[in-house]
Amino acid sequence: MPNAAEKHLAQMESKYHGLLEAAPDAMVVVNQGGDIVLLNLQAEKQFGYRRDELLGQKVTNIIPKGFAERLIADDLRSAEDALAQQIGTGIELIGRRKDGGEFPIELMLSPLESAEGILVTAAIRDISARKTDEKHLAQMESKYRGLLEAAPDAMVVVNQGGDIVLLNLQAEKQFGYRRDELLGQKVKNIIPVGFAERLIADDLRSAEDALAQQIGTGIELIARRKDGGEFPIEIMLSPLASAEGTLVTAAIRDISVRKAAEANLLQKVNELYRSNEELEQFAYFASHDLQEPLRMVASYTQLLSRRYKGKLDSDADEFIAFAVDGASRMQRLIQDLLAYSRVGSKGMNLLNVSSEDALQQALVNLRGAIEESGALVTHDPLPVVLADEMQLILLFQNLVANAIKYQKPGVPLVHISAARSGGKKWLFAVRDNGLGIDPQYFERIFGLFQRLHKREEFAGTGIGLAICKKIVERHGGRIFVESQPGQGSTFRFSLPASKEKL
Amino acid sequence: MPIEILLVDDSPGDVRLTQEAFRDANSLIKLHVAADGVEAMAFLRREGPHIHAPRPDLILLDLNLPKMDGREVLAQIKEDDDLKTIPTLILTTSDAEADIVKSYRLQANCYLNKPVRFDAFESLVKSINDFWLTKVKLPPQAPSG
Repeated sequence: MPNAAEKHLAQMESKYHGLLEAAPDAMVVVNQGGDIVLLNLQAEKQFGYRRDELLGQKVTNIIPKGFAERLIADDLRSAEDALAQQIGTGIELIGRRKDGGEFPIELMLSPLESAEGILVTAAIRDISARKTDEKHLAQMESKYRGLLEAAPDAMVVVNQGGDIVLLNLQAEKQFGYRRDELLGQKVKNIIPVGFAERLIADDLRSAEDALAQQIGTGIELIARRKDGGEFPIEIMLSPLASAEGTLVTAAIRDISVRKAAEANLLQKVNELYRSNEELEQFAYFASHDLQEPLRMVASYTQLLSRRYKGKLDSDADEFIAFAVDGASRMQRLIQDLLAYSRVGSKGMNLLNVSSEDALQQALVNLRGAIEESGALVTHDPLPVVLADEMQLILLFQNLVANAIKYQKPGVPLVHISAARSGGKKWLFAVRDNGLGIDPQYFERIFGLFQRLHKREEFAGTGIGLAICKKIVERHGGRIFVESQPGQGSTFRFSLPASKEKL
Repeated sequence: MPIEILLVDDSPGDVRLTQEAFRDANSLIKLHVAADGVEAMAFLRREGPHIHAPRPDLILLDLNLPKMDGREVLAQIKEDDDLKTIPTLILTTSDAEADIVKSYRLQANCYLNKPVRFDAFESLVKSINDFWLTKVKLPPQAPSG
C-alpha cells in the first residue's frame, strides 16, 4: 500500500509527465546508466521512433557523442556538478534519427530527482534550420570579406561602440597601418571628426535611422594617417547586419586629387573672371584715351578740307579727303567700341521697365534716320520686362537702325512685337522688309566688327549687333535671326519678364 | 567793342580749334588763353604779367588742367565776390556724372561736353555765342582799376 510520501511523489511524477508531453521541444529523461527512461511525443517525432522503441534504449543511440560524457556514472556528486555546469547552457551536438539520418541539435540538461535517484532531463531542440542559417551567414560573411578585400576603396567596418571590427587592404594602405594595428581601434583615430556623430551608440534604432539617411550620400571629412598626416576623404556608409548587431560599413575614398582639381578649377575660373574684367577695362580705357588725339586729327583734317579745298592742287584735295574719311571712320569705331565695352563694364540696374517706353525713346533717338528714310515703324503692345533701361533702349535703337538701314529702295517697314515664352520670359521680334540675310551668315553678323557689305554700300562699323548680343546675353536671354535674302529679316531676342504679375 | 572771353585749356590743339570756331561765329570776340589753373587765376586777379588784363565777359573752363585743376579754379572764382558774377561755362571732354554734379555744386553756370566730331564742336561754339553772347543779358562791367 503506497504511503503519503509515495503518493506525493506519484502526484509529482504525474504532473511532470503532463509537462513533458506539453513541451514544445523533444524531452528525454535519462538515468545514470545512460538509458532513456522517459520521453515525450516531440521526441518520438524528432527521432522518428515509437515511444516503446526508445524506452530502455541507450541515449547514445540517438545522441551518439557528447551526451554520455556529461554523465559521470561513477560518482553521483560529480554528475550533479557536471549537470550544474550544464544547466541553462545549450550544448550543440548531433542527433541521429531512426532512419540513420543525422541532424544538429541543441541540448539543455537539468537534474530530476526521482525515486530511482537523480535523473537527467534533456530538452532537445532541432537546430537544423538555425544551423543552415548560420552556415548561410558564414558564407555571406566570407563572401563579404572577399568583397571587402577586393574593393578599390578603403573599407572599414565599425561597430556601435565606434570600434573598427573589419578592414581591407586598401584601408591599411590608405591609413598607413597594419591590419592588426587598426582592428579594435576607435574609428575616431583615423577619422577624427564627423564619423562618430553618425553612429548613435546608445540606441540601435537611432543608428539604423541615422544610417538610413546616410545611405548613398557621400560625406566629405578629414582622415588621419598613422604618421599624423591628414587628407580629405569622402565616405559612404551602409548598414551591415551581423550576429553582433548592426554594424556600419564605410567606403572611404581619398579625394585629395579631386579636391586639388576643384581648387585648381576654382582658381582658374577666378583668374578668367579677373582677366575678363581687365580686358573690359582695357577696352574701355583704350577707346576712351584714343578719343582725344583722334579728335585732334579728325578736327584738323576737316578744318584743312574746309579751308583749303580748291585752293591747293587736286592731289592735296584728294589726300585730305582720304585723311578726313579715315579719321572719321576711326572716330566712329572708337565710339562704338566704347559703347560696347560700356555694356560690359557698368553694373546692371535691373528694374521693371516698360519695353514700350524704351522703344519709344529709341525711336526718338532715331528720329533723324527715320525721317530721312521715310520708314514706317509700328509695334504691338509691348510688356514690362526686368531690364536695365539704358541698355534696353540701346538694344531697340540698334535693331531698328539696322532695319531701316539695310534696305532696298522703297519704304522701309519695321514692326516690333512680343510673345510670352515659357513662364518667365518674353520673346521679342523686330521684323523688317529689308535686304534679308543669307543663312550662312546668321552667326557671323553678331560678331565684333563683322560686316556683310562693302563700305561704299552701307556705312557702319559692324558693331551694332555685337552690342545687341552682349546686352541680351547679360540679361540672360538669347538673340537670333530668321531671314532669307530678299525677304526681309526678323530678329528675335528673349528678356526676363517682370517680377510682378501685370 | 570786343567781347572778352577767357579760355582755360591746356591743349593747344583744342585752343586753336576753339579760336577758329569763335572766329567764324563772331568776329567781335577776343579770346584770351590760360594754359593752367594758376595762370587763369593770375589773369582774373590781374597779377604779375596780367596786370593790365581785361575782365572777361565769359569764362570757358576745362576741368583737367595742370598745376591747379579746373574744379579748384571754379571754386575760387565762385567764392570770390568780385569774380563770381562772371558766367563760367565748363567745357570739357569728360562726361562723367561725378564731374557734372561737382561742377554744378561749385556753381558753374553750365556744363558742356566737348563733342568728338568737329562739326558738332563748331555747332556748339555757335550755340554758346548765340545764347551767352547774344540772347543772355550779361552783368555790366565794373569800372577797371
